[in-house]
Amino acid sequence: MTVASELAHAVCSGDRRALAKAITLAESTRPSERELVEQIFASIGQRAAPSFRVGVTGVPGAGKSTLIDVLGCRAIAAGSRVAVLAVDPSSRQSGGSILGDKTRMTRLSAEPNAFIRPSPTSGVLGGTAGRTQEAISLCEAAGYDLIFVETVGVGQSEERVATMVDCVLLVLLAGAGDEVSSMKRGVLEVADLVAFNKADGDRVAAADADAASLRASFSISRGAVPPVIVLSALADTGVAQLLGDLTRFGAAARADGSLELRRSAQRREWFDSALEEGLHELFTQRPDLALARAAAADSVAKGSVSASEAARRLLAQLVPARS
Amino acid sequence: MPAAKPSTREAFVELARAELDGRDPETLITQTPEGIALRALYSAEDLQGIQHLDASSGQYPFRRGHRATMYTSRPWTIRQYAGFSTAEESNAFYKRALAAGQRGLSVAFDLATHRGYDSDHPRVSGDVGKAGVAIDSVEDMKRLFDGIPLGSTSVSMTMNGAVLPILASYIVTAEEQGVPPARLSGTIQNDILKEFMVRNTFIYPPAPSMRIVADIIEYATLHMPRYNSISISGYHMQEAGATLDLELGFTLADGLEYIRAALARGLNIDQFAPRLSFFFATGMNFFMEIAKLRAARALWAELVRERFAPADTRSLELRTHCQTSGVSLTAQDPLNNVVRTTVEALSAVLGGTQSLHTNAYDEALALPSERSARIARNTQLILQHEAGLAQVVDPWGGSYFMEALTQELSDRARAVITEVEAAGGMARAIEQGLPKRRIEEAATRRQARIDRGVDVIVGVNAFHAPEEPALELRAVDGRAVLQAQRQRLQELREKRAAGAVESALAVLREHARSGAGNLLEAAVSAMRARATVGEVSAALADVFGRYEGRVHTVQGVYGSYYEGDAAWAALRARVATLRTVLGRNPRLLMAKLGQDGHDRGAKVVASALADLGFDVDLGPMFQTPAEVARQAVDNDVHLVGISTQAGAHVTLVPELIQELAKLGAADVRVVCGGIIPSADEPALFAAGVSLVFGPAAKLPEMAAKLLALLEHSNEAE
Repeated sequence: MTVASELAHAVCSGDRRALAKAITLAESTRPSERELVEQIFASIGQRAAPSFRVGVTGVPGAGKSTLIDVLGCRAIAAGSRVAVLAVDPSSRQSGGSILGDKTRMTRLSAEPNAFIRPSPTSGVLGGTAGRTQEAISLCEAAGYDLIFVETVGVGQSEERVATMVDCVLLVLLAGAGDEVSSMKRGVLEVADLVAFNKADGDRVAAADADAASLRASFSISRGAVPPVIVLSALADTGVAQLLGDLTRFGAAARADGSLELRRSAQRREWFDSALEEGLHELFTQRPDLALARAAAADSVAKGSVSASEAARRLLAQLVPARS
Repeated sequence: MPAAKPSTREAFVELARAELDGRDPETLITQTPEGIALRALYSAEDLQGIQHLDASSGQYPFRRGHRATMYTSRPWTIRQYAGFSTAEESNAFYKRALAAGQRGLSVAFDLATHRGYDSDHPRVSGDVGKAGVAIDSVEDMKRLFDGIPLGSTSVSMTMNGAVLPILASYIVTAEEQGVPPARLSGTIQNDILKEFMVRNTFIYPPAPSMRIVADIIEYATLHMPRYNSISISGYHMQEAGATLDLELGFTLADGLEYIRAALARGLNIDQFAPRLSFFFATGMNFFMEIAKLRAARALWAELVRERFAPADTRSLELRTHCQTSGVSLTAQDPLNNVVRTTVEALSAVLGGTQSLHTNAYDEALALPSERSARIARNTQLILQHEAGLAQVVDPWGGSYFMEALTQELSDRARAVITEVEAAGGMARAIEQGLPKRRIEEAATRRQARIDRGVDVIVGVNAFHAPEEPALELRAVDGRAVLQAQRQRLQELREKRAAGAVESALAVLREHARSGAGNLLEAAVSAMRARATVGEVSAALADVFGRYEGRVHTVQGVYGSYYEGDAAWAALRARVATLRTVLGRNPRLLMAKLGQDGHDRGAKVVASALADLGFDVDLGPMFQTPAEVARQAVDNDVHLVGISTQAGAHVTLVPELIQELAKLGAADVRVVCGGIIPSADEPALFAAGVSLVFGPAAKLPEMAAKLLALLEHSNEAE
């Protein structure tokens, strides 16, 4: 057996160490390991058992990790195996990062049926989606049927996570009404479920009011109103309802075929982005093309040739146009 | 008309300019970590606008002392904090200390007790008897105070998490000595807010924890008129890296929150406020520490009067215990610590503390030995009896500099308090992570200043000793203590009436559930029936749940001190090279094993390594070796760093290495840092630890060794 097929076999038999190693390979920036990853996926093949992928997004401090902790434990109690892939912000200065997710998921991290893996977002920016997607597939191969992808609510992460999962759960802070009204429309549009967290003590009333006004605004903007749940992960209220709603959402999407449609569209997007990444790599890594690109860029900067013309000529070097 | 006479300040600037050969006198200004600009000379102009300068000691706002006569009628109490191993061993230590001139006792409990676990609980195997004495029941407490009359010896107990069963055991022990609660004098720390901020020996979530605090204040108010029901502590904040304005501000803000909790219980401010006490650190910032204690008294009086308008002036008086700083002690050339402690003790006394603990010179390495404990105690005896410090009240009163500094620090602390109050009070501010973040930023800055040599520490980053003296350190055989405690627990459980224990615990659970009834009263009944500390804690956890700690970290702060530093840039370049070889950043899991909640060191190191380009996973606190091993495997790290401050490493680190091997991850390297006596090193290396860092290891050197380890193991592949 080759290294790749051995590792693939170990992943499929539920070996945690093998799964962790395989995710490392998928995240690696070394080209030689890329080949290995392709081989691993080739020997894993298609996994038939159904899984449900949930993206969890929301502003920092909304309590996403604590919510996943409680939600995950409930799901495990109901028979699931849960994987959490957490994507943390990265210090732009040096590429290092502090990954503290497990400190906020103490109960889940002690569960034998849970696998939590925080990933640094350093390295190739455009490639993050692809790497996370591979990590999701590896977790599914290892038998995890409920996958949470947790992102931090900065920049484009909400829209990006929507291209990787079957369902986007937006976590908002109870009693922070202004925050919702000032939130980017895009974030609300990708949400399939909304949870107002930290609705405990004297914040319950404010959270109920926020939820009502969000439902009203949804009914104007989207027609179909996604479930909006008021809960407290800390007090464990409303979490069972959320898990129920998530499960129903998954079952309905699978039954009416929308889940498969979504995944198929996502595969198409990954293909597109992989192709774009590949092209970019060609023009930065292959010496002759990199040189040509630099020269073309200089000419464009000087104004001696138009940007679109320079790009067309450069691409023609790669694939001579049929005449 | 003659020209106006120049002011003192103007005159000084003129003279200084001449002495400095034209250098700008402004360059003499020192910026303190608190952000206060210290001028070279202070004068009468600096006193303008300061109120109540003419108030006597014993007069509002008590800047010069809460009582008029202060030490001239009663010197400060020499109160040394101690406890280790079994109750018998600690008892013998206490008796020797009392015979040698100590005035009151102060009990240190082990971490298993703090966190409400009996010694035979599987989570605490590495912690029993290590950083304090192991107490599981009233029987242990009776052994601890055997032959010590509790009616006439004041006892302070540092307990916050398992405060109910411990205080209850003390009350029952006194009762069985024939001493009623009304005659007990001393202090229970009972300050849970700072535990959530820095020290981390909490058990329950914040809301029920605050109820426990209020129940204890209520019980003490009704039954223990001579007893301090709380010791509102800034000590651990400064130890965790807080600057003095933060220490003072956050501590007084905690105090306001406790007052509100007690008022909500229906108590009158004058019933309980006179029994609130405080606890501050005194570090090496000599003048600022004196100013802090003076400012603390005045600011507290002002705040309590403004907000709660008590009728009894005793409600305005801030009384405090002080302890010299533990983090200022160095492992290198440790006899220097005698000098540090003396200077710190001086500022506590000049600031007007009511009682004082002086640290022993070997505490950066281990628990105090008999010899080092004696010298620590003698430090205070010498100050009291030989140096004449108790002969005058507030000798700094009226000093231009000291009065101005007192006011400036007070203003800064007030700004901190205003920020906390605007966030909705301390409980809310803690929820939002506000104080933790501020303290950690300050801690990271402090570490960077030391590592860069901006702050000089003799024997550590300058003036190294040619050779380190050999010291005899106290070592506690944790396994022997564990064995003894197990045996006793078994005997206790066999002898006691199980039915009585069960029904007492049922009452406790019911009180917890309904919110009615006093939890301390119920805990006293349970301990009297010979329930254990672990059983009482577990009964409450059945209702309240156990709280898991939050870890906040700052990034970029440490690295920013090294901008433009060639050695730092070289380290970054090595990380970058390693990154291309590994295909990812070097990755390290920073973990805490056992019940030790001191996480400042772990977080500062994590922050610095991340600034260098490492990916650092932070594990939850209070982990077992098996849990840490699994996290290391799941995150596929290259290294596990164990931060240890309480001696549990001897047992738990070898177990961790075995657990890693069990999971097929023997290639993950384990390194340790923290308070590790050199005597422990051979055993750690033999168990397979790759590197051991002492308490004063500099971060850049630490990082260089970690990189060398990774570079080497990668070549070997």
